Amino acid sequence: MKCPSQNQENAELLQAHVSRKLDADRAAVLEQHLATCAACREYAAAQFAMWEALDAWEAPSVSADFNRRLYSRIEQRVSWSDLLIRPLRPLFAARWMPVAAAACVLVAAGLWIEHPDRMPAVNAPQSAELEALPPDQAANALQEMQTMQEFSQVIHADSSEPQM
Amino acid sequence: MAGAAAALDYDAELMLRVKEGDGASFALLLEKHRSPVVHFLYRMIQNQAVAEELAQDVFLRVYRSRATYEPTAKFTTWLFRIATHLALNSIRDGRHERQQDRLDDDSSELPVRQVSDGSPSVEQRMVYQAKLEEVRKAIAMLPEKQRAAVLMHKYEEMEYSQIAKVLSCSESAVKSLLFRAYETLRARLAHMA
Repeated sequence: MKCPSQNQENAELLQAHVSRKLDADRAAVLEQHLATCAACREYAAAQFAMWEALDAWEAPSVSADFNRRLYSRIEQRVSWSDLLIRPLRPLFAARWMPVAAAACVLVAAGLWIEHPDRMPAVNAPQSAELEALPPDQAANALQEMQTMQEFSQVIHADSSEPQM
Repeated sequence: MAGAAAALDYDAELMLRVKEGDGASFALLLEKHRSPVVHFLYRMIQNQAVAEELAQDVFLRVYRSRATYEPTAKFTTWLFRIATHLALNSIRDGRHERQQDRLDDDSSELPVRQVSDGSPSVEQRMVYQAKLEEVRKAIAMLPEKQRAAVLMHKYEEMEYSQIAKVLSCSESAVKSLLFRAYETLRARLAHMA
């Protein structure tokens, strides 16, 4: 092995060895070199000392209210559409919901095919109202329409005359 | 290859669930990564209050990006990329220097390492604090990119390839950054051996 002090690649290997990130085979080769090279031994000892000094630096623990503050900030940024959709999310998230919805549609379709007379007709009340309309009321409506047409003609005739 | 790695990344799977509206998965991600992110930012900025504020920004960005999230890399790579970006911006803005609790004033918040008998003497504590102060100053004096690389390598135990992705550079550039950084630290901390 070429001495790490004269070879950049091996110098990086020596650093990796100090940080205990070297595989066993390459570490063994490096250890053999360290046993015979005083300069590299000294360098490695200084690197180990530096590594241990860095180990001493522990970061303080995170504040107990970190999550509360974060969620508070998240809530502030939630849009009104999110707030509207939120109560429905569990329904969309449930995997059985689409199956249940499809089943409901099938059952409703089946009932309609079997008993079409029992199913509520959407337009039924409207047509019923038209059928139940008394003949005199219909005549009155036609009369009103005719009056409106005549009124409209008079208005237009007046406005077309030159103003004095 | 990257796609396969991402497929095995449990955190990325959690993030995809967050994308689908699962708040519990976001809580799991927060629980898992809160301390590493805050600790990384604390060591970058060396101010606990600012580090926590930036960490909040990191997780807020993660949450806000959920709709457009695609697992193209490891989740932690993405997370530390955001954290590093915010830390470097903060350092350049000098935001951390405007805070009340400065580097020199917040030593009281540091954890006290217990010695073997569980009760460090005043002298041991003073020696420990002095040693710590030197380490902190030595790291603070490193150029920003070297500092970020050292913190990810030493304290977060990230691989060269992952650090390279976080810092948007090549793996060999990361090795070079780390080599220079550790050389500087060795020279500055040599007397502590």
